[in-house]
Amino acid sequence: MGQSMVGLVQNETVKLLRRRRFLVVVLILAILIPIFTYAQYRSVVTAQERMGTTDWRPLLTQQIVDMQNRLASSRLPEEWRDFIKIRIQQQQYYLDHDINPMAPGGPTFARGFMDQAISMFLPMIIVVLAVDLVSAEFSEGTIKLLLTRPVRRWKVLTSKYITMLLFTSLTVLTTLILAYLISGVVFGYSGWDLPILTGFEVTDGELTTTGAFMLPQWQFLLMQYGLGWFVCIVVGTVTFMVSVLVRSAAAGMGIMMAALISGTILTQMASSWESSKYLFVVNLQLTDYLNGTLPPIKGMTLPFSLTVLSVWAIAALVVAYLVFTRKDVTS
Amino acid sequence: MAETVLSVKGLKKAIGGKPIIHDITFDVYAGEVFGFLGPNGAGKTTTIRMLVGLAKADGGDVRIADISLQDRFPEAIAQVGCIVENPELYKFLTGRENLEQFARMSGGISTQRIEEIVRFVDLERAIDDKVKTYSLGMRQRLGIAQALLHRPKILILDEPTNGLDPAGIRELRQFIRRLAEEEGLAVFISSHLLSEIEMMCDRVAIISQGKVISVGVVNELMEQFADQVEWTIPLSHMEQAASVLREIKAVTEVWQSGEERLKTRMDIEQVSAVNQTLVGKGVPVTGIATKTVTLEDLFLTLTGGGKEHGTEHGGTRTK
Repeated sequence: MGQSMVGLVQNETVKLLRRRRFLVVVLILAILIPIFTYAQYRSVVTAQERMGTTDWRPLLTQQIVDMQNRLASSRLPEEWRDFIKIRIQQQQYYLDHDINPMAPGGPTFARGFMDQAISMFLPMIIVVLAVDLVSAEFSEGTIKLLLTRPVRRWKVLTSKYITMLLFTSLTVLTTLILAYLISGVVFGYSGWDLPILTGFEVTDGELTTTGAFMLPQWQFLLMQYGLGWFVCIVVGTVTFMVSVLVRSAAAGMGIMMAALISGTILTQMASSWESSKYLFVVNLQLTDYLNGTLPPIKGMTLPFSLTVLSVWAIAALVVAYLVFTRKDVTS
Repeated sequence: MAETVLSVKGLKKAIGGKPIIHDITFDVYAGEVFGFLGPNGAGKTTTIRMLVGLAKADGGDVRIADISLQDRFPEAIAQVGCIVENPELYKFLTGRENLEQFARMSGGISTQRIEEIVRFVDLERAIDDKVKTYSLGMRQRLGIAQALLHRPKILILDEPTNGLDPAGIRELRQFIRRLAEEEGLAVFISSHLLSEIEMMCDRVAIISQGKVISVGVVNELMEQFADQVEWTIPLSHMEQAASVLREIKAVTEVWQSGEERLKTRMDIEQVSAVNQTLVGKGVPVTGIATKTVTLEDLFLTLTGGGKEHGTEHGGTRTK
């Protein structure tokens, strides 16, 4: 009776689409991205007003000269010297290619958007998508139809999980496309090749720039959205477990919101409580490792965060499968 | 003997440490409608949940078409069509999309089969409407369509007439008889209504407090507990009345149920004719009370819990 997984995933896809979950997600993105675009536009305008000029070239030239002067100073440590050299290269690139670093294009907006969205906005959207994937079948009673078919329970759950993975991936992709297309209307669509500084390392709580290098923006975006995708998969998996454990979508939503929000609060104040770094919600801001922002808690690195997130996801999956395959269905 | 489609042996279940189902055992054969009768809370739904794999039994064995439900769940459940409690379908999908969902889960079901089953339950006109626009009766029919889609050998229905109007109940009854008689399907129906089981079923298992207390052919069971009439007759004429009553064909049993009281087991429709005979023979009848056997009486009798009935039947039944 090996019913094809493709058919089961097709079933789940039909249900998810017809429940309009994905439509809601796309609508949220389509409404919020223009708002963020406008906010970004206002901040660019304000910055220009403060400078008192719309011509950014002299400003950039001045910055380059400043940095060259610092290089000439002999008191500068060696590692700083390299970093400043890279910065100069970057600024020079902007100047040579006639790019205003203050007025970003679509790709730059998409990059900034992921930086902002990765720890809260995107996870919340994924929660909306995944929170009733299993629990709705229980609350609507359709679980009785689902589990009285010649399909083992683990297969039913797997089809749901695969569907969650598919739509989570699609959501991240849609975020990139919408952020690029919508912001491009205001900022233009160029900037894929813009050099971005990355490669920072944190040793003993200090940011070292020795490994810093430049990357074309499209490559940087790929890395960044890859990390965003990973975060979404992990949040989706934990939400999936909650959906198995909690029958009401509202309760599931509440649990996940509380977790995500407390994660944000903890990252802001948890530097003294070191072991909070093992919570998955504290490890969501993965893009910070690319940007060279100091991590909220000592000892956190990109591999560390990836490991913590993976462990949480695997544990959530194990719990979800154990409970789902054993649970008695009662009314 | 017809093929045994469902065989339940020594089924046990405890919920929260409390035993709910004790040793339920019965067989259901192909082509029969089998009633599963019991008051609310007797464990009917719990048993059904175990029969269709929604709940795990703590002990005992369920075999469907001789395939163990525990060991080979997909093969066994492929022979079962069921509606547990209400037919809950995906309300945001159309009737057809619902059936397509189940077709993909069962495998090997053609588009023609879907058309066929839609015609069979008479839903052709509404099948492309969303289920949320359906009436309860239509949902019930779509529920039956999904249960029959994969050509099961046994159909399991949990309280199928709940919420249906009298016309709907009659329709369902005819439909179920047809399935059993024409398609050779075994149909397992749970109910707390004796009349419903009486009209639909060939055999019945009666359960109370998680135990099967009687399994048998419905007619025999009913005959045993047929309707009763109580006659009030002056003491002086008791002997005479009893002998007159015993000679009447419609009366199957006569016994004294109290002072000035005689009870008969008989067809209630014959009451006035019997009364005329009694009066004609000079027996002054001062009161007649008819008593229909209710399910509750039956349970009380079978479980020995009813004082009055227990002594009556125990003390005076003569065969």
